[in-house]
Amino acid sequence: MKTYSRELTVGVALLLLLAALAVFAPNFFDGQPLVSRLASQMPALVLAVGVALVIMTRQIDISIGSQFGMCAVIAGTAAASGMSMPMAMLCALLAGALMGVVNGWLVAGLGLPSIVVTLATLVTWQEVLRLWQKGRLLALPDGVQWFGTSQGTGQALVIGAAFLFLVLMAWAMKHLSIGRRIYATGSDTEAARLAGLAPKATTFGVFVLMGILAGVAAVLNLVQSPQIQPNSGEGLELKAIAAAVVGGVAITGGRGTLWGVLLGLMLLVNVNPALTHFHQPPYWEKAIQGLVILLAVAADGIRHKKQKRLK
Amino acid sequence: MKRFTLSIALVLFALVSCKKTEESGKLTVGFLLKSKGNQYFVTCEKGAQAAAKELDIDLRVDGPIQADPAKQNEIVENWITDGVDVMVVACENKDSISTALRKAKQAGIKVVTYDADAQPDARMYFANQATAQGIGEKLIDSAAELTGAEGEFAIITGTLTSANLNEWIDAIKARQLEKYPNMKFVGIRPCDDQKDKAQQEATNLLSANPDLKAIVAVCSPGVPGAAEAVKQAGKKGAVKVVGLGLPSENRAYVKEGVTQAVILWSPEDLGYLAVHAGVALAKDELVEKDAKTFTAGKLGELQVVGDSIILGKPIAFDKDNIDDYDF
Repeated sequence: MKTYSRELTVGVALLLLLAALAVFAPNFFDGQPLVSRLASQMPALVLAVGVALVIMTRQIDISIGSQFGMCAVIAGTAAASGMSMPMAMLCALLAGALMGVVNGWLVAGLGLPSIVVTLATLVTWQEVLRLWQKGRLLALPDGVQWFGTSQGTGQALVIGAAFLFLVLMAWAMKHLSIGRRIYATGSDTEAARLAGLAPKATTFGVFVLMGILAGVAAVLNLVQSPQIQPNSGEGLELKAIAAAVVGGVAITGGRGTLWGVLLGLMLLVNVNPALTHFHQPPYWEKAIQGLVILLAVAADGIRHKKQKRLK
Repeated sequence: MKRFTLSIALVLFALVSCKKTEESGKLTVGFLLKSKGNQYFVTCEKGAQAAAKELDIDLRVDGPIQADPAKQNEIVENWITDGVDVMVVACENKDSISTALRKAKQAGIKVVTYDADAQPDARMYFANQATAQGIGEKLIDSAAELTGAEGEFAIITGTLTSANLNEWIDAIKARQLEKYPNMKFVGIRPCDDQKDKAQQEATNLLSANPDLKAIVAVCSPGVPGAAEAVKQAGKKGAVKVVGLGLPSENRAYVKEGVTQAVILWSPEDLGYLAVHAGVALAKDELVEKDAKTFTAGKLGELQVVGDSIILGKPIAFDKDNIDDYDF
């Protein structure tokens, strides 16, 4: 039970928030806005899961927002040029994988610190987008929004795909060797190497997976409106990393669950709608989110200290 | 004393440039765009061409392929060497181009800026697209007209700290309190200049305020974002969407009837005005720092505030006229 204490705490906080909304602002639970709100957070969920895996290997990827933007514009351009939807989606995933390879090679191959590498790629992809698109919205052809189906079906597909992915990943982390390799690489790279768990290959693989997931997230976002904005990924990296940290993924690597990431994300992203429904000014949004992150990090610090003392 | 010498110098230079005009007959006007690839500036150029035809001048249009301050400086330098009579400039970078423009002024060239200004001492007049008050009032007037001037409305802004947006919002609120007492302001949400966030904010505003009648977006990503939220909520027509933005980014929603009005000044008129002002300076019909009004051809008499010539109130693009504008 002790191992899941963070997930429990965040879950309870989320339930309290939802309960307060149910009592004071029941409109929050109206069907359509609830579904639209949930669907619009699915890209962030996919990114948060990806970055959680990166953090678990004791690395960081802050370029995911830029990767997301690149993938979105590439898929959008492909679709606008007449490519079929599956082909456009494939372009996004390939582009993501390629950007992941760049990060992975620089970090795992050359042994450079991931914070510096991904800061560089964050800026690079962002500037490429700026030069390429000049900030203008890109109109998508008919048949892209909601995968060419109705709003209801499209939203169900987006939410269904994201949750199916989450369940599969959570299962894989527990039952497949990939989970063991990720946790081992993050807890003690040297021990992982001695145990034959190939930490370098694991790190490389996690960055490539992150890139592919940026492509998946971009597609899940792309299908929710008839236009895309080139800077749509700006700030997403912080949202995803914050969700992982609040959900109990230790920034020092080796620890955390994907269910915790889901809870962390849901807690953070519902702060803003809650403020709107309580008719409070928006100035509080970032302050409250910041406080939540701070509490999570502080709790981590205290846990870390206790563990040290036990040793 | 310094100012006195400067004005003497200016007068002298003005005389020199007048002389040149007399010699060559036709005035040469350089019209500088921020970028050739931007529909907005291509539309500005249309107006400039119309003014050139009317005034019988030689118009040279140039600009970087993509927004590039260094390239703009290069073009200005070339024009100085060529000895154009007038430069009409939209500045990509205020500080970087001001040095080159000062040099042009010293060479006796009349300098007018439009759309984005240079340092005040680097040009003679700035053709200003609209005042904060003009923009704010037009937005709330449109919302009032669409809602019968009653009911709740909310605002979507870019960021809470953006100075020009806040000025517009102040103008919106002041106008509403004064002219539309039956309208009720229920809240403002920032979209961080992101369309997706604007959509989420609008979705929340709609479910938190079931009686909402209008959303006013003061930043351009906010307009399509709010429109998509209204559409997904099935409240097309019931909740009006108005905002400041480009017609091209909102055309589909306007035609569908989700967005009722997109507000912007006419870039064509802005280009037209700027060329008229430049030519008037060269013909001494307009004197630096002296005018209270300026008459620009078909646009009629326009107000001059300080050294800005105000284009006037922005226009509203709706179902009927949005296809006439391709920027």
